Amino acid sequence: MVLLVAGASLAGVLSAGWSPVLGVQLQGGVEVVLRPADEVSDEQFERAIEIIRNRVDAIGVAEPDITRQGNQVIIQLPGVKDKQRAVDLIGQTAELTFRPVVSIFDSSDPNQLAAVQQLVQGDAQDSDSSESEPLPTLSEVLTPPDQDEASESVVLLGSEGQTGFVLSPAALTGEVIEEAAATFQGQWIVNVSFNDEGALLFDQMAVANYQKQVAIVLDGVVESAPTINATEFDGQAVISGSFDEEEAKNLALVLRFGALPVEFERDDVRTVSATLGEGTLRAGVIAGLVGLALVALYMLLYYRLLGLVAVCSLAVSGATLWSIIAWLGESQGLALTLAGATGIIVSIGVQVDSNIVYYERIKEEVRRGRAVKSAADGSFRAAFSTIIWADLASLIGAGVLYQLTTGTVRGFALYLGITTLIDLAVSFFFMRPLVVLVARRLVKEKPKRLGLTVTTGEASI
Amino acid sequence: MSFSIRRLYRGDTNWDFLGVSKRVLTGSMIAVLICVVALFVQGLNLGIEFEGGGVWEAPASEDITTDDIREAAADIGMTDARVQRITGGDDIFRVRGELPSGETAESVGSELAAAARVDSEAVSARTVSPSFGDEVAGKARRALIVFFILIALYLTLRFEWKMALGALVAVAHDIALTVGIYALFQFEISPATVVAFLTIMGYSLYDTIVVFDRVKDNERSLSLKTRMTYSDLANVSLNQVIMRSVNTTITSVLPVISLLVVGSLIMGATTLQEFGIALLIGLLVGSYSSVFVAMPLVSSLKRREPHWAEQDRSAEVLSESNSIENAATALAADRYDRSSPPRPRKKGRKR
Repeated sequence: MVLLVAGASLAGVLSAGWSPVLGVQLQGGVEVVLRPADEVSDEQFERAIEIIRNRVDAIGVAEPDITRQGNQVIIQLPGVKDKQRAVDLIGQTAELTFRPVVSIFDSSDPNQLAAVQQLVQGDAQDSDSSESEPLPTLSEVLTPPDQDEASESVVLLGSEGQTGFVLSPAALTGEVIEEAAATFQGQWIVNVSFNDEGALLFDQMAVANYQKQVAIVLDGVVESAPTINATEFDGQAVISGSFDEEEAKNLALVLRFGALPVEFERDDVRTVSATLGEGTLRAGVIAGLVGLALVALYMLLYYRLLGLVAVCSLAVSGATLWSIIAWLGESQGLALTLAGATGIIVSIGVQVDSNIVYYERIKEEVRRGRAVKSAADGSFRAAFSTIIWADLASLIGAGVLYQLTTGTVRGFALYLGITTLIDLAVSFFFMRPLVVLVARRLVKEKPKRLGLTVTTGEASI
Repeated sequence: MSFSIRRLYRGDTNWDFLGVSKRVLTGSMIAVLICVVALFVQGLNLGIEFEGGGVWEAPASEDITTDDIREAAADIGMTDARVQRITGGDDIFRVRGELPSGETAESVGSELAAAARVDSEAVSARTVSPSFGDEVAGKARRALIVFFILIALYLTLRFEWKMALGALVAVAHDIALTVGIYALFQFEISPATVVAFLTIMGYSLYDTIVVFDRVKDNERSLSLKTRMTYSDLANVSLNQVIMRSVNTTITSVLPVISLLVVGSLIMGATTLQEFGIALLIGLLVGSYSSVFVAMPLVSSLKRREPHWAEQDRSAEVLSESNSIENAATALAADRYDRSSPPRPRKKGRKR
């Protein structure tokens, strides 16, 4: 039964082409632990993580893992190519800016792109040459993220990626916003209030851009481009449009918290070169296999046929574990870390112990003259009770560690818990039936095959 | 000796564990004392995860010495940097020090890469803020306290408080010894090592629970019928589980040794080494303490209970010469009662 389940899950995982996702230490990459510099609310924190996630997606990392653990954000980017850029990009608090809109264009229309290029490059480019040049692509027109300075004119896209904006230098930045809230007054609107400096700057901008659009830019994306309908705001502005509730609330959040609503300190920054990662992985795999082989050899020599059962149990657990790790990697983006891998190598011992506890019970019973067959049947209850009580202690430990710690220790606790559960299942559903089967069919009252010897004399020294 | 090994293999030992436990415990206490002294005198060699700072690792080639690297580090203001050449497999340079002001992890990395004449992509770097370590340590401490309380409750419910006490003392003993050895030899403590310490606690408890489980089992089935003292009971139980302890220790230690030998000596992966040493020490000490620390402690506590004190006195009066043997016989007899009656032996059975 269990064999079927384990086999099926392994086959399923293999055929789906899933393989465990390797952590930063095992394949190279970047790991950053960030912590807010000041107290932040949950809302701010979640928003910050969301923004970081967007930035990471923009870099294009295959298996990013961004998790919040307590008051830290742990960002793992295994296999990322440009490591320094990734590190820089993640933690920076980009600015929120208000930029007057010069013109709006359709990013999918090449002719409009050419016009925009001309507009931006201005008189430096004389008009004859533009005819002979091929039409520019979108990426040539847009301002690259590292040149997105508040004091420069820029070309950026809207949040939907369709509409492009040519924008003047920033009139004011997000720092001057005091409060922003979405409210419902017949329609969803966003109320913004500014501090004294902001009120002044905003009015200046409003005068200069009356009846024109002003873009709210965050992280190089135009979040919204409302039209200015007044020249005097007195520190209070209302942004209206055809927002739905979610859009209005998002905009309010953007305005309130700026780009990254939280200033982060880098607690731990780790870059691992691909070669070092591979070296560690290779070392771990070889060490694991050698260890496994030694354990298998020992069990076979000591327990003979029962040793074979133990080896099979290990194989079943291994297949199950592989499936679970691959599944976790695939569905949860959870990477197999170095600590996790080591925990697994260590768990070989725990797994084998369940077999040993059982076998020693059997040996004991047989030594007392009980038939191998009935000993195999009868010892399981006592042995399994021991296994449960001992495993329960491991589970308590794993649970506490998982709940209360972060990073390395947490990863370890996760795999300790998983392997312990597998151990319980395999002991009950696989080891027991197989041992009983072996005892019935193959041993035929020749205990030597089980590495048992039967003494006839009473215990005496 | 060969005779007793054969006995051990058959699980047929009659060793007086508690008898020798006094001497062994004295040894343990001295060892723990040395470790505690080492901990206070020398302190622990904490990794950057706890102290903050940076570590850079670059592939090392034959013609470049640690002095070259040290010089390069000094040039960019890292005068107190610790430079090591880590051998085994592919050699690497390991530079540890404070990040000089005005430099980034990457700029230091590329300086070191230039000095080691390798590509800067091949350099691994890690920088940690000093406050991070406090946090890691604080969390681990809190987790540890919760863990101890829960385990104490669990063992009290499952067994009794005396056993919970014995188990926790044994665990504390193991941790003290392992941490002490780290202090003594100034091995570096990293989060990986902390994980290893936690694993040790797990193993040690696991081992102790297996022993206690058997003692409880025997207590239920034997104590009412026989005149066993608690020491006898403990001894019988220990003899019953000793082979399991030995085998489990061997099978647990084998992968760890392979991790240490293959992983770090041959392949040169230092991260595995940090882990392996702590685990190896902890595993050995853990199985030892279950038998020689936890059980004797419980036994000496239990002997003060009226029932067991009474048994002790009557055993003295009867002055049974070999109470363990009696106990073992009694136990064997008891098992016969419970299982099917012994069948006549077949002829072919080995004698």
